[in-house]
Amino acid sequence: MNKKYEVVIGLEVHAELNTKTKIFCSCENRFGAGVNSLCCPVCMGLPGTLPTLNEKVVESAIRMGQALGCTINGTTKQDRKNYFYPDLPKAYQISQFDVPLCANGKLDVLVGDEVKTVGITRIHIEEDAGKLIHDDTMADTLCDYNRCGVPLIEIVSEPDLRSADEAKAYLETITTILLYLGISDAKMQEGNVRCDVNVSLRPVGASEFGTRCEMKNVNSFGAVYRAIVYEAERQAKILDEGGVIEQQTRRWDDAKGVSVLMRTKEDAQDYRYFPDPDLLTFVVSDERIAQLAAQCPELPTAKTLRYMKDYGLNRDDASLLSLNKVRADFFDTCVKLGRCEPKFISNWLIGDVARILNEKRCEVCDTALTPEHLVEMIELIQKGTISNTAAKTVVEEILNRDVSPAQVVQEKGLAQINDSSALEAVVEKVLAENAKAVADYKNGKTNVLGFLLGQCMRASKGQANPGTLKELLAKQMETL
Amino acid sequence: MEIDVRHIAKLAKLQIPEDKMAQFERELSDIVGMVEKLPALTGDGALLDETNTMQLREDVVKPSFPREEMLKNAPQSAAGCFVVPKTVE
Amino acid sequence: MKELYRLSAAELSQLLRSKQVSAREIAQASLDRIAAVEPAVDALLDVTGEQALAAADQVDKALAAGEEVGALAGIPLIVKDNICTKHVKTTCASRMLENFVPPYNATVMEKLEKAGAVMVGKANMDEFAMGGSCENSYFKPTKNPWDTTRVPGGSSGGSAAAVAACEAPLALGSDTGGSVRCPASFCGIVGLKPTYGAVSRYGLVAFASSLDQIGPFGRTVEDVELLFSAICGQDMRDATSKPYAYQAKSASVKGLKIGLPKEYYGPGITAEVKEKVLAAVKTLQQQGAEVVEISLPSTDYALAAYYIISSAEASSNLARYDGVKYGYSGRRDGSLEDLYLSTRSEGFGDEVKRRIMLGTYVLSSGYYDAYYKRAKLLQKMIGQEFAKAFTQCDIIATPVNPTTAFRLGERCNDPLQMYASDVCTVTVNIAGLPGLSVPCGMDSAGLPVGLQLIGTKFSENTLLAAGKVYQTACGGFAVKEM
Repeated sequence: MNKKYEVVIGLEVHAELNTKTKIFCSCENRFGAGVNSLCCPVCMGLPGTLPTLNEKVVESAIRMGQALGCTINGTTKQDRKNYFYPDLPKAYQISQFDVPLCANGKLDVLVGDEVKTVGITRIHIEEDAGKLIHDDTMADTLCDYNRCGVPLIEIVSEPDLRSADEAKAYLETITTILLYLGISDAKMQEGNVRCDVNVSLRPVGASEFGTRCEMKNVNSFGAVYRAIVYEAERQAKILDEGGVIEQQTRRWDDAKGVSVLMRTKEDAQDYRYFPDPDLLTFVVSDERIAQLAAQCPELPTAKTLRYMKDYGLNRDDASLLSLNKVRADFFDTCVKLGRCEPKFISNWLIGDVARILNEKRCEVCDTALTPEHLVEMIELIQKGTISNTAAKTVVEEILNRDVSPAQVVQEKGLAQINDSSALEAVVEKVLAENAKAVADYKNGKTNVLGFLLGQCMRASKGQANPGTLKELLAKQMETL
Repeated sequence: MEIDVRHIAKLAKLQIPEDKMAQFERELSDIVGMVEKLPALTGDGALLDETNTMQLREDVVKPSFPREEMLKNAPQSAAGCFVVPKTVE
Repeated sequence: MKELYRLSAAELSQLLRSKQVSAREIAQASLDRIAAVEPAVDALLDVTGEQALAAADQVDKALAAGEEVGALAGIPLIVKDNICTKHVKTTCASRMLENFVPPYNATVMEKLEKAGAVMVGKANMDEFAMGGSCENSYFKPTKNPWDTTRVPGGSSGGSAAAVAACEAPLALGSDTGGSVRCPASFCGIVGLKPTYGAVSRYGLVAFASSLDQIGPFGRTVEDVELLFSAICGQDMRDATSKPYAYQAKSASVKGLKIGLPKEYYGPGITAEVKEKVLAAVKTLQQQGAEVVEISLPSTDYALAAYYIISSAEASSNLARYDGVKYGYSGRRDGSLEDLYLSTRSEGFGDEVKRRIMLGTYVLSSGYYDAYYKRAKLLQKMIGQEFAKAFTQCDIIATPVNPTTAFRLGERCNDPLQMYASDVCTVTVNIAGLPGLSVPCGMDSAGLPVGLQLIGTKFSENTLLAAGKVYQTACGGFAVKEM
């Protein structure tokens, strides 16, 4: 990227909420059903139908607002945004205009080792549109209205982001928080989270913002990064050539890695917002807002910082854990048991446990693993009951079935032999069978000690406590 | 009062024949003219009304309508979907 | 005995319950009457004879089995064609919905089905309820039974004309700016515009959501009361509906304070109308009511506020008619824009287009504050003025219309003059109040004049009680012989 300009980025994130029903009717809110099978006269906008606002949507949005430190407008309303498009059956989207449910928040995002604070302009609730199906073999476009009325929150950031990395980290943090609150499935690949990106450039050191362009349809973390890099370069080239940036709306084509002009400022839409007369003002009481606030969990950035400070985890490990709510919860429960070092728990969770989960393509909550069992296993290692090698076998087992690590050790005979008298016999036997090596040792070839140790370990079927074994061997050799 | 009838018609997705433009403009101006008498008023610009509020709906699923029923009034349908001329944005 | 079709719903109900007549006979009498007078009146768009007889048979069966039947069991009913009737065409008298068959029933239809009412037909109206004469129907104009060269009023002209012509004792209309009260007054029958929120709007095809209310028609105040009490009450499918149950009051006006707002008796009102309305007020005074002069100074602005708010909402409510999901569909062989433009330009009539254009204009960028917001603030002010007036009086009495029924075609080319006829009724919608229209005599041309009684929110019982007192005192309302 050109060093002459600073990139200024703002994001509008649309997240589908995972309420049971749609925002304005009682149809099920579900992804992946047969076309037009989750529709009713209300979400299809049939003449005479009326919307009724889902309480859960309001509460989910408020919880997101609270997580992002917003002021909650407990008294608000819905407005109509009017425009014609075949995915919008009523030809208006019920949204919020001048009184969003949540406003003026901020979000701390970890970018590298820096904590970046991003302003949140507003969060409002609105309905999703349907899906248009284009098929190159067909002369027409098909409309599937299942998604009509799926509840959305739109989270609008201040233009506080300054690089593609920051924007990506911001979006990752937002989706993590959605998962932390349990209000969205936040799967970008299913379109649960979609993003519009506003990008402008200004000379380094300038305080005025440049003219911005909005990119629509930016629908993955990677796409956010690529779209910003592309757009910043496009604008820089225009400026370098002495041109001026025109305010535009562009569509990001991630497959081709380019953005395409949709419309310029001149044909900007006139949405004719006005309060929806079918829906009155609604009030969420202060008590209810306080109850919702009490449900707010510790958020990922705070968690990462706490793991680093309190448990001495490094930043990568800490954020790996906290970016995954299920694993972070699991980790926290393990630590709370207070029986072993958090560092060891983290190592196992990020290491072998994560590897197995990846292979199985599942989450820790889908397995038999319990915090008690993991901690117990770590204790067995620390007490010297099992070796690290044996522990790898134990982990596989306790992930697969609800069985205590001790029992696995017993069943599979994985316990270390710490008993000196038992090991002495092993050593004596090995020395007797390896007379030549013993002779070599006496002749000063001390490096055969390693070979002999290996033979002893083998003879113990790998269960000898390596420390004890080494000690015994050294003692025996001296007495020879 | 000058009204850009062409622009308004575009927003409303209505085709006003050229020979009716003047009539529409005159009629709209007349009606808007009545409005010009309205006194200037100040008040809550957000148009919230705390004295008249609504209840919210419980998040409980009810069955959707059968697809065939929803498609019955469709001018054109195919593969369980409503059909529109090729649309790419 | 009078012909069955001439009887009120209350009378029919009594005959039915005492087994002097069957529901099928009542329904058949209504259908026969429709066949006889429709050619002259043109009140209906659809006669649902088969369904009506089947529904009547159900009632007879239930009665024969000694089962409990609903309050309106066996009573013929006509429904304005903007109220959705499951599997029965609901056209809004528009080319746009010429073949639209709703897959669901409006809440009022569910309630009336439960009450045992027998729908015999769907009534003509001004297209999408926009108009005051019923001439804006895509299909045909309805004629006033009192003089078939004149309009029945609008927009619920078909419903009112049908009841006045004794096609059925009861009908449903809808009232956004006077659309129940105006045709009731022009046709010499009783019509009620309920308090906003008293009756569910679910299934009423929206014109202006914040003003629309479904209202009942009848030839007697009792019948209107009967139908109203069957359709009112909160509906969880309509967020603007309110908890409410009708409780009748005894028919007395003793001590009732009637306010006469001077703004409603100005130069725009014809002398004959003024005279009849004041005579009716005098009658109520003789029955023990008191009369006080009041003032509603913002009335002058109400019409402008009404046309801004109603058109703005209409422009958005009617945007869904795009030729994709239902209704008329224009050119399908061109672009999406071609489909939109042709569908909407060919599917809507001129009056509807005019309102959509006006509404689009007042909401468009740069004009919202000057028009829409100003009108909404004025609406609040008008509501406050009414509240203040109701500290001086219990109900308000005004004319319904400045004139009696005008001739067909007379005002078609002058929208402003047409709009001006709503001047006495729109304030009631703007303030969300109930308004009752009762006949109060005839002008010199033999055309009915209407008295409007306005009350506080949810005071329908007070209005209907006063209406009953007047009805008795004047010896009942005239019915047109046809």
